[in-house]
Amino acid sequence: MASNVVTPKAHRLVSILPQTETEWTFRVEHHGPVNHGQFMQLSLPRVGECPISISGFTDDTVDFTIRRVGHVTDELFNLKPGDDLFLRGTYGNGWPYQEIKDKNLVIIAGGTGVSPVKSMINALHDADGDKQVYLILGFKDDHAILFRDDLEKWRANPRFHCIYCLDHMSAEGFHEGMVTAFLDQVPFAEFGDDYACVVVGPPVMMRFAGLGLLRQGVPEEKIWMSFERKMSCAVGKCGHCRIDETYVCLDGPVFNYTKAKQLID
Amino acid sequence: MQDINIKKLQNNCFRQSKVAGEFMLQLRVPGGLIDADLLDIIKHVCNTWGDGKFHIGTRMTLNATGIKYEDIPAVNAYIQPYLERVEKEMCGVEMETDKGYPYIAPRNIVACIGGAHCIKAAQNTQKLAHALERILYPNPYHIKVNIAGCPNDCAKAHFADFGIIGCTKPIYDQDRCIGCSSCVNKCKKAATRVLSLNEQTHKVEKDACCCVGCGECVSVCPTGAWRRPDKEYWKIVLGGRTGKQYPRMGQMFANWLTTDTVLQIFANWPKFSEWVLGGKPLYIHGGHLIDRAGYHKFKEKILEGVTLNPEALIADQVHWTEKEYRSNIHVKALADHVTVKDA
Amino acid sequence: MEEVGLKRLTGDALDRYFGTLLDRFQIWAPVCIPAGGRYQGQDAVQYKPVSNWRDIVWDRRSDYSSREAILPITQTLYTFTGDDYREVKPKQAKDLLILARSCDIHAIRHLDEIFLQNGGYEDSFYRRVRDKVHFALMECTHEFDGCFCVSLGTNDTDDYAMRLAFDDEGIFFEAKDPSLDCADATPSDRAFSNPTENELKVEFPEFRSIEEVNELKSHPMWDEYNSRCISCGACTIVCSTCTCFETRDIVYSLNHHVGERRRTASSCMVAGFDAVAGSKGIRLEAKDRYRYKIMHKIYAHDARFHTGPMCVGCNRCSAHCPQLISYPATINKVSQALREIREQEVGYGE
Repeated sequence: MASNVVTPKAHRLVSILPQTETEWTFRVEHHGPVNHGQFMQLSLPRVGECPISISGFTDDTVDFTIRRVGHVTDELFNLKPGDDLFLRGTYGNGWPYQEIKDKNLVIIAGGTGVSPVKSMINALHDADGDKQVYLILGFKDDHAILFRDDLEKWRANPRFHCIYCLDHMSAEGFHEGMVTAFLDQVPFAEFGDDYACVVVGPPVMMRFAGLGLLRQGVPEEKIWMSFERKMSCAVGKCGHCRIDETYVCLDGPVFNYTKAKQLID
Repeated sequence: MQDINIKKLQNNCFRQSKVAGEFMLQLRVPGGLIDADLLDIIKHVCNTWGDGKFHIGTRMTLNATGIKYEDIPAVNAYIQPYLERVEKEMCGVEMETDKGYPYIAPRNIVACIGGAHCIKAAQNTQKLAHALERILYPNPYHIKVNIAGCPNDCAKAHFADFGIIGCTKPIYDQDRCIGCSSCVNKCKKAATRVLSLNEQTHKVEKDACCCVGCGECVSVCPTGAWRRPDKEYWKIVLGGRTGKQYPRMGQMFANWLTTDTVLQIFANWPKFSEWVLGGKPLYIHGGHLIDRAGYHKFKEKILEGVTLNPEALIADQVHWTEKEYRSNIHVKALADHVTVKDA
Repeated sequence: MEEVGLKRLTGDALDRYFGTLLDRFQIWAPVCIPAGGRYQGQDAVQYKPVSNWRDIVWDRRSDYSSREAILPITQTLYTFTGDDYREVKPKQAKDLLILARSCDIHAIRHLDEIFLQNGGYEDSFYRRVRDKVHFALMECTHEFDGCFCVSLGTNDTDDYAMRLAFDDEGIFFEAKDPSLDCADATPSDRAFSNPTENELKVEFPEFRSIEEVNELKSHPMWDEYNSRCISCGACTIVCSTCTCFETRDIVYSLNHHVGERRRTASSCMVAGFDAVAGSKGIRLEAKDRYRYKIMHKIYAHDARFHTGPMCVGCNRCSAHCPQLISYPATINKVSQALREIREQEVGYGE
């Protein structure tokens, strides 16, 4: 009998790394292939199931950086290393890493939107190469800053040009302003044709970042976006993530801008 | 100048006019809903013997004004088919119909349109009105009955001697519930705020004891998770009245009565009136009769021989709040009371 | 195909035949729920397992569709005891015989597309029921108010094990599956006939491009639904082709470690359908939700599966709408709006 695709399987929680007061990273035992930008369905008995981006992975683990906003997440914050949580997946296409990894990259992410790009940024960080990486990462305020260690590590990489910003305040190492305000600091002209842009964050931020990039003369096909939508199943059954004929769980969550611009809920 | 016994005419449902020698006919419409062709009868009366005007009575009677005293026998002969159709055929009342109405004391039974039409209705008011008409008519004892199809009480059952309010006890099928909160929101906005959504289970919880039984939850439920039982329920509110002396709102006497129980209780009303008034059918509001008897005596009399349905709840005590222009009718002997003495 | 007379079964003989069917099948059919309608004194007709053919309501359209036989509004998928999710074994061992109208049988195609095909994932809970489903096609002796099956070609089907028509005494039937035949049946002259024409004809618009679709989304035609539609979702619950659901874990009140994971129907018409944790959602107004639903039915499903509109013309959605919003009237408005959009585009070009 074919296995049931929606049955969650127990996985051991290896460690918990608090990022901010409300955002923690949960490292969970997991073996199997993962693409940067994919997500999994995470379950806890009693509290239910929801889709969570993979913010990092090794051959033996996956990381989930989770903001405390719902039933499932509340309960997660009570877990201890050694406890089980339940997973199924991986789901979604993820970033077109092979296609863009050897290009100059502009990565624009906001808030928890940093999670779905974090593993890719780390892979770029660890890779050899001479291509430039522009990171424009925005957070609401200094309490909401995620992955401080990673942010500093990336800042130290000579190929990385890091613009970190906070929406309504400044702090050491962080400019004040929205990510869209810093797009003109990217020397698109120097890249020639050899670059790609990656955008992920709240819907409004993504819309304006997309438009901002177009204003900078970036062709649509060089922009990639990751969508966050409500999902109950992640396998194209529950209907929640559907936008016209597109199922974000099956066909996304990453879309090229040529497609993303047509996805009107 | 004619010599006219206006009391006798009033009992015949002809009410004295400001103009000496003229009267207004009041045709009963128990429940307020009749076949439209019967309107030809009142129209003919208005145009032939009346002054060509027609009044919709405040208690839902069909009124013809300006009828001359001498025409009353002709009018009574003409309206016989109306009485046959409405009282005998529609309501099943047993009575003579050739001389007009025998009594005005039991006033016409007022009812909202109820389940015959209204999307808010919890019960069919007409059916009950007809059954009550069978019990109360003809009868020399005064009573005003209002029937509301739902607890919104558009029919003002709260201001009648005997007010009856339709309600329902919705059944919840949690397997059909999708947790949409429609019922919760509706109950919050339009009813008694007894529903809440359990955030964990996404099912609805109910504070059943405060449910007014309106059925709004059923009407807004998209899935049929809430449905009405195939059973009629009513509340009785007693002792309400308007009037120059002691207007007051009726109070709930009984809740969750089935139709059969209501009819049994109602059948005791004329007996109770007769008992409390010592056999003299005086025009006294029902609330006063209860005051005279004392609530507990009233309760004993009105529930005599009645088999209550299991869900029925009867008030242990009822406290009315009067707007007291003149009070204390309940502590004076009837005979000492000016209003009553003159009646 | 030459029409042959249906076989006749009545009274006791039909009781016996129904008994033999009940040995093999759980029989789902439209039955009356007394007082179960939206308003006082109104009944409802829903699909339920039946044990007596006399309980079957055959002379009116069921208020709720036959999909509930396959996709119940609430379904328990797993039980958990704190440390594991255990798949719930199906309670029903017998096959299902569903007495359905032609339109409802066609609707199963769309359910299959979602649950068995979409994304290459097969839903096990659906599959295990689906494999047990046999249809008994119920004749539509006359069309019901607002039916437009003929416009969608769903007025007849071959996907049945038997087909039957009712009258007060019993049934006329034909068993395509020989094992469903009955030796006690007598021949009759009566032929099986479904409507070949509806009073209502609905023309579904064809969309030429996603740009056109997206332009339609902001067309003012949707504005009126903000004040008309109350976002209750009744249309989607009675729909024979709607499939959306949510899963939720429920604990048993006496032991908070033990409970079940349930799948419950959900509706894109209800606020919150599109809300991720901590957000308000995307379609915040009734008109947006209504537009989303309509566009799914008449455009999006076909754009994905190329199997036509996600609609079989039963019009239960309109019949069940407490605000008396007509789905066919909405489709006509879409067609009109599309014409306007195209005329404007031609205008710009000139």
